Amino acid sequence: MDTPTLKRLERRELDMHLTWSNGQEHEITYDDLRHACPCAKCSPLRNEEKTSMSLRRDIERLPSEKPSVKTVGNYALAFKWVQGCSAGIYRFERIWRLGENLDPDNGQTYVHGAW
Amino acid sequence: MADNPIRMNNPGAGPVAPSAEEQKKMEAAYSQMKRKMAISQMGKTIKHKIMVLSGKGGVGKSTVATGLALSLAQQGLKVGLLDIDITGPNVPKMMGLDGRRLNVESGRIHPAQGHLGVKVISMAFLLEDEDSPVVWRGPIKLGAIQQFIGDVEWGQLDYLIIDFPPGTSDEPLTVAQSLPDIDGMVIVTTPQDVALLDSRKSITFANTLKVDVIGVVENMSGYTIRGKAPSGTDIQLAAPAGRTLQTTADDNGDWALTLDIFKSGGGEKTAEEFGVPFLGKLPFDPGFVRGGDDGVHRIVSEPDGPSSLAFAEVVAQIQSRVETSDSGGGLEII
Repeated sequence: MDTPTLKRLERRELDMHLTWSNGQEHEITYDDLRHACPCAKCSPLRNEEKTSMSLRRDIERLPSEKPSVKTVGNYALAFKWVQGCSAGIYRFERIWRLGENLDPDNGQTYVHGAW
Repeated sequence: MADNPIRMNNPGAGPVAPSAEEQKKMEAAYSQMKRKMAISQMGKTIKHKIMVLSGKGGVGKSTVATGLALSLAQQGLKVGLLDIDITGPNVPKMMGLDGRRLNVESGRIHPAQGHLGVKVISMAFLLEDEDSPVVWRGPIKLGAIQQFIGDVEWGQLDYLIIDFPPGTSDEPLTVAQSLPDIDGMVIVTTPQDVALLDSRKSITFANTLKVDVIGVVENMSGYTIRGKAPSGTDIQLAAPAGRTLQTTADDNGDWALTLDIFKSGGGEKTAEEFGVPFLGKLPFDPGFVRGGDDGVHRIVSEPDGPSSLAFAEVVAQIQSRVETSDSGGGLEII
């Protein structure tokens, strides 16, 4: 299925509410979003259960905050946090998969250099 | 720094002058902020932004980018041409701006003006001499590109044409990430299989970045030989691949035959295969080589010639797609 176009993103206290062009709506918690960070530092940590859990715990220890959001070209969003990692560029497909509770990495382990 | 609003204050103790290092950091942050603001404004001041790419080098990308800019300017439109080829910038030479220097006022770079009023920015303007290489790694190139985008005083433009080095790496990626509201990419190819293979990569690259592919242009598509002979004379020409081309001189004694030096129709086939528009064919014209070397583009020296007409047709295709695709499907972030 082609990913619909993201039309609206509402930042709330602990999560964001998304509205897509096909009428679908998603809620994604900031903790889930941050755990799915696609940057080269966070991604390898999700390759193994133990490090993935450790990443999750580190994220949950961070103070709750609303991120600033900016579009990256036509294909992605970047989220900036006061604390924690802000390096990830989230493709819209990735955000949509998160909203659908699908594995954002699509079952693929991270290999450095593969985009 | 007279106009820099950033000052360090220490309440109760009066202003404290920042250290040289702090001052430098603040200046860098301030100029970065100004650049970001300028880039966000470009969506409003520049109506259409078109990237010109190819997967393979040597397909005539700069010639096509320059030709598109001039052909648009011929219509009286305000056009800018941004040469992002940092290590091999050729556009200034083709635009008759060789050896020109850029004017910088209040931290803003003012583009040089070439033929038909086209505004040009290129790394070539910043080189000591044309033999000096630019030996930069990716992050430095990235900074230069962002400066070229954000620090240039383009003014109001109808079209900004952006010429890239071959491939799908740092340069197009940086522009696609930084520049707002890009209309799309024009993929330049030549008809042979090697070029087509790389063009397919460019199309996939555009799809990955969610930038529209405006279409594929087939450059160097056929070389037309013209001659004179007594009316009714049969002309035969030995063509590539052992073929013989034939024609007959017309009533005025004119004849013309087109040699498909690099095959023909490959661009159209690739466009069909990927479901993207085919914008047209541009002929192989030795006049482009002379024009490029002399700094007088074929469109300027022969505005009604066959090559200029071919460019006008491609430009009409681009305009029909770009000027009707203002979908405005923006994302609302609250």
